[in-house]
Amino acid sequence: PADIRDAAQARDRSAPAPVTDVARLCVCDLLVAQCDVNCCCDPDCSAEDFSLFTTCSVPVVTGDSRLCSQKAAVYSLDVEANPPERIFKLIDQVNPSIFCIHATNYKQALYLKTPEIPTPENFDQLLDKFGGATFSAEPDSWNLDTDAQNPPDANETSRYEYGVPVQTEDAFLRLPSPVVSSWCSDANPAAFLVNQATKCIRSVSVEKCDSIQALSMLFYINSSILAVPKSSQMVNITVKSIVVQSLNGMRTLLSSSDVLRLPMVLDELCINAVLGVNYHITHTDTGEIIEAAAAFVLGAISKETLSIEQSFKISFTQENTQPVPLSGNPGYVVGLPVRAGFQPQGYPFPAAFLSNKHSQLTILHSTSTQDCLAAQGARAPVLFGYNMISGCKLRITAAMKCQPLAQTLLDVLKGQSFPEYVASFGNSQAQDVLDWVPITQLHISEQMISHTLQSSCQIPVSLGIEVKWTKYGSLVNPQARIVNVTATITTTTLKQLPSGRERIIPITSSVVFTDISSPAEPSYKAWPTIDIKLPFDFFYPFV
Amino acid sequence: LSSLPLQILLYVNGVYYIFYFLATLAMIIYKSQVFSYPDNLLAPDLAVLFLMAILEVPRLYLGFKGNLTEAEAPLGLSLGLTVGSVVLCVYLLLWQTYVLWADVLLNAVLLSAYGLESGLKVTAIAAFVS
Repeated sequence: PADIRDAAQARDRSAPAPVTDVARLCVCDLLVAQCDVNCCCDPDCSAEDFSLFTTCSVPVVTGDSRLCSQKAAVYSLDVEANPPERIFKLIDQVNPSIFCIHATNYKQALYLKTPEIPTPENFDQLLDKFGGATFSAEPDSWNLDTDAQNPPDANETSRYEYGVPVQTEDAFLRLPSPVVSSWCSDANPAAFLVNQATKCIRSVSVEKCDSIQALSMLFYINSSILAVPKSSQMVNITVKSIVVQSLNGMRTLLSSSDVLRLPMVLDELCINAVLGVNYHITHTDTGEIIEAAAAFVLGAISKETLSIEQSFKISFTQENTQPVPLSGNPGYVVGLPVRAGFQPQGYPFPAAFLSNKHSQLTILHSTSTQDCLAAQGARAPVLFGYNMISGCKLRITAAMKCQPLAQTLLDVLKGQSFPEYVASFGNSQAQDVLDWVPITQLHISEQMISHTLQSSCQIPVSLGIEVKWTKYGSLVNPQARIVNVTATITTTTLKQLPSGRERIIPITSSVVFTDISSPAEPSYKAWPTIDIKLPFDFFYPFV
Repeated sequence: LSSLPLQILLYVNGVYYIFYFLATLAMIIYKSQVFSYPDNLLAPDLAVLFLMAILEVPRLYLGFKGNLTEAEAPLGLSLGLTVGSVVLCVYLLLWQTYVLWADVLLNAVLLSAYGLESGLKVTAIAAFVS
């Protein structure tokens, strides 16, 4: 009796039968018990409502038009009559094609599939399949001890590959990041060789300061990283540095980073809460992790704060290498700094170029004071493709001597170490001498037409760097290549001022990028030639 | 004497059957692409079509042989095979998953050919026996 009742209940709980009578189907009938405007098939409309319509939004209701003959309900408005009335006709629509469907013996052929109705028997299976935020084909298995995964091949998983999640003792190295909203999700794994930087918001409260795991340093360093996937060799995460940020935003670097500082409540503040983690992983060239370091930023949370923003960063370096950030591969990418360098002594012997942060191509950075002599040293890197102009104002008094002034202005315009060579490609190696373009230096002096002698002093007033670049490579993926760099210094004569007077002259520096690529010439394959040779005895009887 | 109308009909049946087989196969392929045709319904339809093709060859051969040699045994066997072909033809006419109008036409023509053939075969057998 119990199972008979269950079966009857299961049958009752099936989906409602679909409506197939075209006379009763109405797609535009959206309002219940109210007349929809211009909906001629709406049963809630009366004759007066029909007389106010202008047109019928749904003129025909039919079933599948591929059937040979089917019923169709045709609705139209007779505007000639006074008042206008709705005409409803039920006609037989015939499909004249020879491939029209005469009959089907398959009930669901022309209808949508009815979904499975949940019953106590299949509820668990339906929940597994459709219960999550996303429907996925395979189950989400981040644990290392699943039997669903294929047994690993000894050769394949003896190293990390690009994009593979970095594994730790329990699950994986976490890099919390915003998933759908800005709230932090701890389920984002860090992928090998993928440098990432994420920022997300976490909800906090001072009372639960020491119980929220994500605020404590231990959460980020306690599980050691596996050197290779699925191995037993561990790499501990060392704490490289700790920076403490006070409530007003000032950051101090702590001298000793050995002590683990855990969050605790002090004077209604929660101190030592993690505000940012910067992971730095060193690996070998065979995909094995040998070192892992983390730099923390700890801060304090006050009682009123309900949420804090945490930032996380991870970067990978190969052992025994100095990473040089590329500005493109191979062509320059717009927005990345132009790489420049010096040729060390040893000319004319081709030597490698020195290229480091101190020898970047930079221009003067305008400051708020706009005084050339006051704000010395503020420079901005030249980014490829971005034309820049900057300047400052120079106040000349009578007491200033020309020569030192000229030297100071030259320093202001060119910077402390103005490079001699610029990399032609974004990934030019220091050893390839031919990939570097020398900077041509020009001097232009604004001479007055009055024949002032050259002996009077000249001070530089503007520096213009013109970078000529061209498109190089294939037509569909052109790469930017720097061909020529010219630095032009314009000087002007410094007229001697009467004592007590002072003059203000503007000093400018600019960078201009010019595209000198010649128009591309597509090259075509040669026309195929017809190569016919008659056999030598083709004209047999006659030759 | 061999029955001339039966011979003509058997010959025309052979030619028509080739056209019928190719057209029905092409339409089944068309239906499987355009409509929702699950594999468990496609398999029986294709099986019936190929079975009918396999039956048709001995059927026509026996019909030719029986009529030309004026022997009633092959003709009788051919008649028996015709019954099987008729059943399969009726399946394709009525109980296929999708019956298109073209299907109806092809199968109706084939069915009428079978009916006419059966009648002529019976007459021929009666003539040969007596």
